[in-house]
Amino acid sequence: MHPFTIPFMAGFTMMFIVLIIRYSNWFRGFSTENRKRIAGRMFTRRSIHALNEIFRESLLHLKIYKTNPILGYMHMSLAFGWFLLIVGGKLETWYYTGNFANPPQYAIFFRFFHPVTEATGIHRIIDFYMEFSLLVVLSGLTIAMVKRIRKQVAGMKNTTRHTLTNRLALTFLWFIFPLRLLAESATTSIHGGGSFLTGITSGLPFHPAVELPLWWAYSISLGVFFVCLPFSRYLHIPTEMITILLKKWGVEPELKLKTNKGLQAFEIHSCSGCGICLDACPAIGVGDKKFQSVYFINEMRNGKDHSKTAELCLSCGSCQQACPVGIQLEPLRISARENLNSEMRFNHTYLPSKMILWRETTDVILFTGCMGRMNPRTTQSMKKLFDEAGIGYVHADEDENICCGRPMVLTGASEQAELMMSRNRDIIHSYNAKVLVTTCPICYKQFKNSYKLNIPVVHHSMYINQLMEEGKLNRHHSNLNFSYHDPCELGRAFDCYEAPREVLKRAGHVVALSKEKEKSLCCGNNMGTILLERENRQQITDKTLMVLSENNPDYIVTSCPVCKNTLSQQSSIPVRDIAEVLTDLPEIKQKTGERLTAMRESHIN
Amino acid sequence: MSRISFGYSVSEGKVINLDQQKPAWLEKIFELEPSLHRCISCGNCAAVCTAGHFTGMKFYRICLNAFRGQTSDLKNDAKACMLCGKCQFACPRGVNIRHAIMLMTQIQKP
Repeated sequence: MHPFTIPFMAGFTMMFIVLIIRYSNWFRGFSTENRKRIAGRMFTRRSIHALNEIFRESLLHLKIYKTNPILGYMHMSLAFGWFLLIVGGKLETWYYTGNFANPPQYAIFFRFFHPVTEATGIHRIIDFYMEFSLLVVLSGLTIAMVKRIRKQVAGMKNTTRHTLTNRLALTFLWFIFPLRLLAESATTSIHGGGSFLTGITSGLPFHPAVELPLWWAYSISLGVFFVCLPFSRYLHIPTEMITILLKKWGVEPELKLKTNKGLQAFEIHSCSGCGICLDACPAIGVGDKKFQSVYFINEMRNGKDHSKTAELCLSCGSCQQACPVGIQLEPLRISARENLNSEMRFNHTYLPSKMILWRETTDVILFTGCMGRMNPRTTQSMKKLFDEAGIGYVHADEDENICCGRPMVLTGASEQAELMMSRNRDIIHSYNAKVLVTTCPICYKQFKNSYKLNIPVVHHSMYINQLMEEGKLNRHHSNLNFSYHDPCELGRAFDCYEAPREVLKRAGHVVALSKEKEKSLCCGNNMGTILLERENRQQITDKTLMVLSENNPDYIVTSCPVCKNTLSQQSSIPVRDIAEVLTDLPEIKQKTGERLTAMRESHIN
Repeated sequence: MSRISFGYSVSEGKVINLDQQKPAWLEKIFELEPSLHRCISCGNCAAVCTAGHFTGMKFYRICLNAFRGQTSDLKNDAKACMLCGKCQFACPRGVNIRHAIMLMTQIQKP
């Protein structure tokens, strides 16, 4: 081999060694259960599903296409184009030498070693394929360069500010492909051969003396990039694929977050720093400290203090929804908070335990939660609706309410929420009911995910929708325009977008918004944040209200008491809960005739 | 001149002593959560507090006592909190009460 291949070989070998050391370290952090899962599921159909996802997401980047086609093409052309070059190079050398196991540098610098291949059909096709792949990569590179200057080209409003290592790696990555083109063109212009691309560029006046230095430069930039890779964001390229495999095998996060242990280590290092989470974040541009997920992950990766980035965030889940790699950002953040606040000690032994003498039988248990106490109107409306539909109910937390525990979980004290949860569970289990209806999405999430209750839990918007579908509630269609605000803990957390809209469509029109459903903004005041100042929270609320006020709706409707409280404090348009819309608005009237018919029918049946 | 005795004295707790040095850990809490300085002890937080309903703990009291350097019950009172956040909605001054409570439960008292 020629000495100019040494920088590439040295860089490539070093990357390989560092990757093996780092990965084996992270693998050592897996718990016994996780190891069993990997061993048991490695040779099942799950691995094929994972390979499919790797092809779709790591090479074609289909999720980024959905965010923005140009941005998607940029990532696809770099990843898939490079993949085509590697596969093509292997096939080319295999075909040429008849030996599959030739060394990698032979394929990468093939044109230097064999400038002119025979001009038979198959060689022409291979040459064309290789140069076409290079053109694909170069087109993506051009977009990447333009994006650095004008990010709007790729539909981005904010881009990540990168660390020095990342910028170094980026520079050398950018050099690789233009240098390959130049080196191949120089060889073509001197020795002949080549296909359509070098056919054009070899027309440039190349002096025979520049050929070898160009190949040296190509080799060096490859080598430096590979040395930088395990220490920069480009570590995501190999890590993302392993993370997809691990997730498909059902590996669970380790109980305690460590940035160099287990699944979390793989997730953290799968972040490509693409910055798609920045535009998704409702709190972008708020406050002095940037706390978006890409910065949070970056700080954890580099072992820096991440207390601010972990605790400022409002935990609305937008970034997790937008993340093209599918990193579980919300659980990661909560685990980080658990580590940061491990000294926190609460004492809730004062909570009274409920003595159960008899179990009252009823249809529905209504749980309005802490915030429900500050919104008695919603509770009253809900009770009116129950009466109207002829459903028996018990208001479980009418006199005194114990917090559901979700706010505590969000601050990283999930273990200490257990006592509160068991007291609430006792209260709920002290009734014989068919269903638990809660008016608060925060409680809903906690009940649904952590309580293990003996009855199903529904949010009141779902329950009202169900009653309307069954014909137990009816409303005349009015001319009112509603804009619906999706609460984070109901929408993004449970994909519950349609039930509340269905309810509103029966009573009026639901106006379309520029950001709704999975892209809806945060009201600015949920329990997810620990540190964010009130002024900053108000800024977020203002931005959200701008979106909600598009098309001048008559009412802003939501189904979360926190969102309602927060929005109504700053809104010029009245804000109502979905239950209040049906009972308190004078424009919306009950279809009395139909209701009676429905009742009669139900009696006959 | 000797002090005239009126037969009563000012009780310790009602004296505001600005000269008194706050303990270092208390200074630290105020430094980490500066919005505590905005508290005017209006009592809105206590009005909505569930933990207060059960135990009698009042956040504005904790705050007021901390200003006065009375910190004997501070940590125990803070421990009763459920972090539900109703107080933050009620607070007219935008005090980050949940964070303050979280800090108070973590202090290592000498």
